Amino acid sequence: MESSNRLLLLTAVCGATLMLSGCASFRWPWHKEKVEEQQTDAEAAEEEAEDQDVTPPRVIEPNVARRKIKTPRIDNENWEMGVGLGFMSIEDFGTSSTYAAQFNYHVTEDFFFRLDAGQSTAGKTSFETLGGNIELLTGDERRFTYYSLSLGYNFLPGEVYLGRNLAMNSGFYLLGGIGSVDFAGDNHLAINLGAGYRVLPTDWLAIHIGVQDRVFDSDLLGEKKVTNNIETLLSATVFF
Amino acid sequence: MEPSITTTRSRRLRRTSLAFAIVFASFLSVTALAKQTEEEKAAKAEAEQEKLLQVFVSEPYLELSTGPGRGYAVFRVVEREKSVDVLFRRTDWFKVRDEQGVEGWARARDMRRTKLADGSPFVFHLGDMAGFTSHDWEIGIGFGDYGGADLIGLYGSRSLTDNMKIDLSVSQFLGNASTGWKAELGLQHVLFPEYRFSPFLTLGTGYVETFPRATIVNALDRQDQTAYVGAGARFYLTRRFFIRADYRWHTIFTSRDDNEELEEWKVLIACFF
Repeated sequence: MESSNRLLLLTAVCGATLMLSGCASFRWPWHKEKVEEQQTDAEAAEEEAEDQDVTPPRVIEPNVARRKIKTPRIDNENWEMGVGLGFMSIEDFGTSSTYAAQFNYHVTEDFFFRLDAGQSTAGKTSFETLGGNIELLTGDERRFTYYSLSLGYNFLPGEVYLGRNLAMNSGFYLLGGIGSVDFAGDNHLAINLGAGYRVLPTDWLAIHIGVQDRVFDSDLLGEKKVTNNIETLLSATVFF
Repeated sequence: MEPSITTTRSRRLRRTSLAFAIVFASFLSVTALAKQTEEEKAAKAEAEQEKLLQVFVSEPYLELSTGPGRGYAVFRVVEREKSVDVLFRRTDWFKVRDEQGVEGWARARDMRRTKLADGSPFVFHLGDMAGFTSHDWEIGIGFGDYGGADLIGLYGSRSLTDNMKIDLSVSQFLGNASTGWKAELGLQHVLFPEYRFSPFLTLGTGYVETFPRATIVNALDRQDQTAYVGAGARFYLTRRFFIRADYRWHTIFTSRDDNEELEEWKVLIACFF
């Protein structure tokens, strides 16, 4: 008796569970039909809505003009080019005027490369002056032509003031490099060492005063010796 | 001030036209100068159309110095959200003009932290290791030996890719027996451009002109074509500088029966940009 009661109860519980979980656990054939029926109902409603020309909700366009950024090319002004005039003191041959051209590339705020070239004409040695008609060199051989490749180092940057309203940037620099000197019919390997002072009246114009010693070996007057040829130059350069 | 990405560049224009005027005044006659004035007007109108980049300060402030170097005094600060127009760049400094029209120099490192009008960062090349790996141009100067003669050299190179470059070198040699100059054009293949130290291979052709020293009898000036193969190494120093050591093995196509062979080595200090 007791066992039949228990069986009855168990059947009832199982039945109730099945009924409650219903569609989730079992897919009854009538249930499927019902779902399909609902779907068709929804489609019909949609069609009906379309038929009635119901306008969709308005999309608000933001009133902001979108800007297209086209980055302009930034001008790089690291090159400097210019010409100069000055004096060249050629060892044993006196001091003569010289003219030169220079080309600089500024690599960092501290360092720059320089290519310079110039020409001067040597005067007479004291031996020639005192000795009357003696000529050590011909006209062409007196031409002193040089170029050098140098590395420059900027130091002591500052400003100079002209009057109350004008300030100009300035700075000193050291130079060292190698090059060649064509003098007295021969090419010599030369080492150049120097220093300069630069003032910039504007951002693009620089005025330089520079001194460079061009050192090379010469055996022109008999024995081989080191000659120092000191050049003083005033030059104007333009940045571009 | 309403943010606009551009403003006109009248100051630069005055500068350019002044430079033009000086150059032309010294070389041209009066009539030519009159013609130039018209051209100048056209150039002025064109230049006024030219635009400058405007960037916005996104850090608390941007310092402006009186000159392009760390030694020059800071004389002004531009506040956050304010803008500056970029006039031009010199080494790692930018000449800028603020909204009040005051011009000064801003450090590249600070300019890296500014923003464009659309909020995107202002990006440009800095002279660093990444620039060493990838750049457009190189120039360098150096010293070496060319078949026993002293060699002074200058070179420039243009990058095709990070690995491949076109090299142009011009050098003068000063030996006991002869002097002369040469120019060479070739290809350089950098094996590991992303490393601080990298070997490279070169191959090219050139032209050499030799002048024997006066003491050698019956010697003639010579102009010959050459070809070379070589190898070398590059080492990044700092900022924009690197050292380049170069070995080249030259074949000189002489007018005699035999070709001449010469070895060249040199060390160069170079920079990239």
